[in-house]
Amino acid sequence: MWVIFRRVSPALSLIGALLFFWIIAPDRPLTIMDARTILLQASIVCIVALGMTLVIAGGGIDLSVGSSVALAGVIAAKMLYTSDRSAGEPSAMHVTLTILAAVATGTVCGLYNGLLITALRLPPFIATLGTLGFFRGVSKWISGSSPVYSRDGWLEHWVKPTPETAWLLVAPVVWLALGLALFAAFLLHRTVFGRQALAIGDHEEAARRCGVPITRVKLGLYALCGLLAGIAGVIQFARLGGSGDPTIQAGLELRAIAAAVIGGASLAGGRASITGTVCGTLLMALLDNRCTALGWPNYVQEMVVGHIIIIAVAIDRWRGR
Amino acid sequence: MHRTLRLFALVLASLFACEKPASPTAVNPPRASPTNKRIAVVPKGTTHEYWKSIHAGALKAEKDLGGIAITFRGPEKEDDREQQIGLVQNLIASRYDAIVLAPLDHRALVGPVRQATSAGIPIVIMDSGIDASAGKDYVAFVATDNEEGGRLAGKKMAELLSGKDKPAVLILRYQEGSASTALREKGFLDGLAAASPAARIIDPGRYAGPTRASAQEAAENLLSASAGIDGVYCPNESSTFGMMLALRSRGLAGKVAFIGFDSSKELVDAMRGGEIAALVVQNPIRMGYLAVKAAADHLAARPVEAHQDTGVAIIIKETMDEPQNRELLSPDLEALLGTR
Repeated sequence: MWVIFRRVSPALSLIGALLFFWIIAPDRPLTIMDARTILLQASIVCIVALGMTLVIAGGGIDLSVGSSVALAGVIAAKMLYTSDRSAGEPSAMHVTLTILAAVATGTVCGLYNGLLITALRLPPFIATLGTLGFFRGVSKWISGSSPVYSRDGWLEHWVKPTPETAWLLVAPVVWLALGLALFAAFLLHRTVFGRQALAIGDHEEAARRCGVPITRVKLGLYALCGLLAGIAGVIQFARLGGSGDPTIQAGLELRAIAAAVIGGASLAGGRASITGTVCGTLLMALLDNRCTALGWPNYVQEMVVGHIIIIAVAIDRWRGR
Repeated sequence: MHRTLRLFALVLASLFACEKPASPTAVNPPRASPTNKRIAVVPKGTTHEYWKSIHAGALKAEKDLGGIAITFRGPEKEDDREQQIGLVQNLIASRYDAIVLAPLDHRALVGPVRQATSAGIPIVIMDSGIDASAGKDYVAFVATDNEEGGRLAGKKMAELLSGKDKPAVLILRYQEGSASTALREKGFLDGLAAASPAARIIDPGRYAGPTRASAQEAAENLLSASAGIDGVYCPNESSTFGMMLALRSRGLAGKVAFIGFDSSKELVDAMRGGEIAALVVQNPIRMGYLAVKAAADHLAARPVEAHQDTGVAIIIKETMDEPQNRELLSPDLEALLGTR
């Protein structure tokens, strides 16, 4: 019984929140435009939270994702930068290369985390706390400590709340996020790699004795987390109107962890749910939107989100008694 | 197992049962009646005194003009462009009647501003500029002439240090990409160079960052790196406050000519105590008022001037108790915001 409840509880809390706002403010219903905005705004956090969920499933944590997103965004801005004001839009090839470079940057960040954790045997919390500062510093260094105002090519079409191609219904990055979520769910629940990750998160020593290649799996998890942060970095770059901001998304790691935890992941490892994480990010974006629609001040929202995390974990713990 | 589930269902049911009767008016403030036009005011942050003054001005406009309801909401952190973009998009989706925005970045907010305009929601820009055109992408630009404010500070600095031969003047910049403070920095450097060509300007390009704490840290680092300073200039409230703390901890407060920008209770007290030589003050209450008025006028199809200057003045210890200056330095925000 509890297993089922736990699996659907993130979706239940999302529905509960929708009902709650519908009941207290029937005169301000959720419109299509609201839904589009919520989905778009959840995309960046969602993509990063997917990587975080994988890492958490393997018993780790990655605090450096916000800095990786900023670094990937700055790299994208640098790639497309030109001092020639009369230069037109960059070619499709140029933009494609830019995306690849930014995603590669994120992946390298993730691999570096993985190496620190496996080769130096550092606790993930400490290793990624260090790289949180390091990657942020690198992005400030590369950008000269100020936003790099660049061109965005066709990337701007990715992040318009109302897509120009009407049949898409929502911004293209929403579909991208959905695709990545399906991929992550498949990876975690349907592949050997995913089971090995969960086994490590559950009991590392036992997994080792069963012949799970600990180092390789951990490196893979952190690299994937970095790759997803790189993709989020490209989206962030587009959202900032084609500029790379070295200070952006400080604190993103906490939102991603919150999404995973609301979604039922255990910070002790061995248990995580991709659908749960997706519901967690949607719940936070929904609160953002509704608190704005109702004109509630910022502090109300912060107090509410704080307690949603507490309640989510409390319900989870309750089961154990 | 069944017991816990039943308990959960009970809790849910009671939640809804309690919520329902209180629904229509309990949450919405009573003034947001359906006939009132909803105007959202979006500052760069919500913790600085400066934005509280903007809020007070906006509320004053709400009271004076009638027929409008103000919602005041900003990004939680002063420098978070992503949060401000998200906020503006949420306001558009929620169909506010008009938006008054102080953009955190002259480029990153262009997209959301155009989205608002094309969704038929008029938008008024205040405080800092944006790379879009007034009249087409937004209704009006309501702001301080920041460069003029900086120039006033530069001239005052030259006057204060006129007895010194080759005075050294330190500048702590505010934040990368912030248009308004960049103009105050430029105005200061120009004004000082014009009035006192001999002055040696120490400008290591250090930034105070978004909060008082980050400003204090940056100021401490700057002061330990540079000796024999005669004057210091900071371009906003948080950098001025952080610098004041750093000067105090080094025993330099009151010994160097320190000019700040904007005011708060602590800064005014420090000026009375002689630790701050002069403060350049804007008129944020007037800015909040005029920006909301521009939005309201536009909604009522009245003509709106596209560029509105809200005024700037420099105040020293000797002039701080003149009534008009006292109002600029320490407005009674609590009374205006109705929090007392």
